Amino acid sequence: MSAQPQPLKRSAPEKSASGARRSRVSLRERLAAWRDQHFHGFFSSLGRLAARPWASGLTVFVLGFALALPLLFWLVYDNARDLSGGMREAREVTVFLKPALDATAASALASELRKREDVSDVTERTPAQGLAEFRQLSGFGEALDALQDNPLPSVLVVTPRAGGNVDEPPLLGALKADARVDLVQYDAVWRRKLSGILQFGERLIIVVAALLALATLLVIGNTVRMDIQARSAEISVMQTIGASNGFIRRPFLYAGFWYGLLGGLVAIFIVGIVEYALAAPIRALIDSYSQRFALHGIDVLVGLALVGASAAIGWFGAYAVTTRHLVAGRPR
Amino acid sequence: MIRFDNVTKRYQTGLDALAEVSFEIGTGEIAFVTGHSGAGKSTLLKLVSLAERPTRGHITVNDRDLARVRRSGVPQHRRGIGMVFQDHRLLTDRSVFDNVALPLLIAGTPHADIGKRVRAALDKVGLLSREKASPVALSTGEQQRVGIARAIVAKPQLIIADEPTGNLDPQLSLEIMNLFADFGAVGTTVLIASHDLLLLKRMRRRVLVLDHGRLVDDYRPEQAA
Repeated sequence: MSAQPQPLKRSAPEKSASGARRSRVSLRERLAAWRDQHFHGFFSSLGRLAARPWASGLTVFVLGFALALPLLFWLVYDNARDLSGGMREAREVTVFLKPALDATAASALASELRKREDVSDVTERTPAQGLAEFRQLSGFGEALDALQDNPLPSVLVVTPRAGGNVDEPPLLGALKADARVDLVQYDAVWRRKLSGILQFGERLIIVVAALLALATLLVIGNTVRMDIQARSAEISVMQTIGASNGFIRRPFLYAGFWYGLLGGLVAIFIVGIVEYALAAPIRALIDSYSQRFALHGIDVLVGLALVGASAAIGWFGAYAVTTRHLVAGRPR
Repeated sequence: MIRFDNVTKRYQTGLDALAEVSFEIGTGEIAFVTGHSGAGKSTLLKLVSLAERPTRGHITVNDRDLARVRRSGVPQHRRGIGMVFQDHRLLTDRSVFDNVALPLLIAGTPHADIGKRVRAALDKVGLLSREKASPVALSTGEQQRVGIARAIVAKPQLIIADEPTGNLDPQLSLEIMNLFADFGAVGTTVLIASHDLLLLKRMRRRVLVLDHGRLVDDYRPEQAA
């Protein structure tokens, strides 16, 4: 054992000088040390997670599934909103004329309507066109052949000019009042119902997301709590040799952060798989209706928001649990 | 360096661990605290490191009144003290180097200085070659020396040790105690709790003797000689 006294040597004046220096220099030094400590905590906590791949993986996957659920709901909602948005834009008024009216009278009404200020376009559909369309869509071809004459009326599809009262345009009243018109179909009521359903869906997603965010908080909190218990001896050693609460808390905060972050990434991965699995049948379904609508996946921003939020939840959960432990372990 | 003024510590069980204890230890002095089990040795050390607060009386460490150290100031206070434990309390999941570096990490020592200072501390306890080893792979005596390296690495002005040789044979005990004596020789104050009377006699240092919480003797070999 070689005893070299120098590093320990400390005469009184030297000490006071170094004490004064410490308070002056150290802002930059302290910042550097603070950065070093965070850097260390950032990676060492990841290493700790990697040291127990099964336990960490299990936690991360539980979180991933919990987070994937609201994300999937959101995806369904977002697509439904898009779909309804397409319908909302369809502002056409379908006017069924009295069956007694012939093609000439229908054309006359069409040109009358075209002259109106609030009409941008009128398309005529003759009963023959209507029948052909119906035959194609319904598959009742044979049965229709048995009909002797065409029971369908002439139809005018009127596109109102943009602007004005969308829910109840004055054009509607005029059409309803016209003696030649049998029925006016305008989808305001249906749309009101649809937006009601969408509002309900939106609320549902918020509630489910809040519940599952809470579940995420609890899962991470509990995992970190077990982590703390496993390392309580270490924590008490650190406290004895002068570690501040912040220092002791830091690796756990980063662990919570990593759990949240990785859980979020797994959630996106799961949603990606679900999308992939459902894409083909959904596309077929959509194609059978119209070409207007395209299914879309998770937005990059939404994905980032989810990962960020779950990482923040992880951090917060770890903070709450470590604080509890540190307060409980404090000598009175 | 350390000053106790009529210090009494009563635990919630009603036991007086220390009663009306007064003494003063100067800077650079090496002192032992001895007494039977439960005489109050550990309590005395805990009061110095603020693991416990006195029920009555005043304690001053390094010119600071400990009653005025708030809870948030306790970690800072402990960083100024090197602590050695009977069971050395090393962290078994990391290397000798990392164990010794811990106080420096806690204190926020610049990264570049840590390696130098850890090696200097390990060199002083004669374990420079074992820095990469796990503490588990070391003998009990070596583990205790790592514990001592950890206590001195941040260059504290005060070292307190609670039965540091409790698990060691007499030869190793003497080695460890001589190590502590070296620190005293360079101006560090050392306070050691030990019940090994034979060893204390050989060390020929100041000895505070506790009996049922009372300071019954303050033996100074210089005066006795």
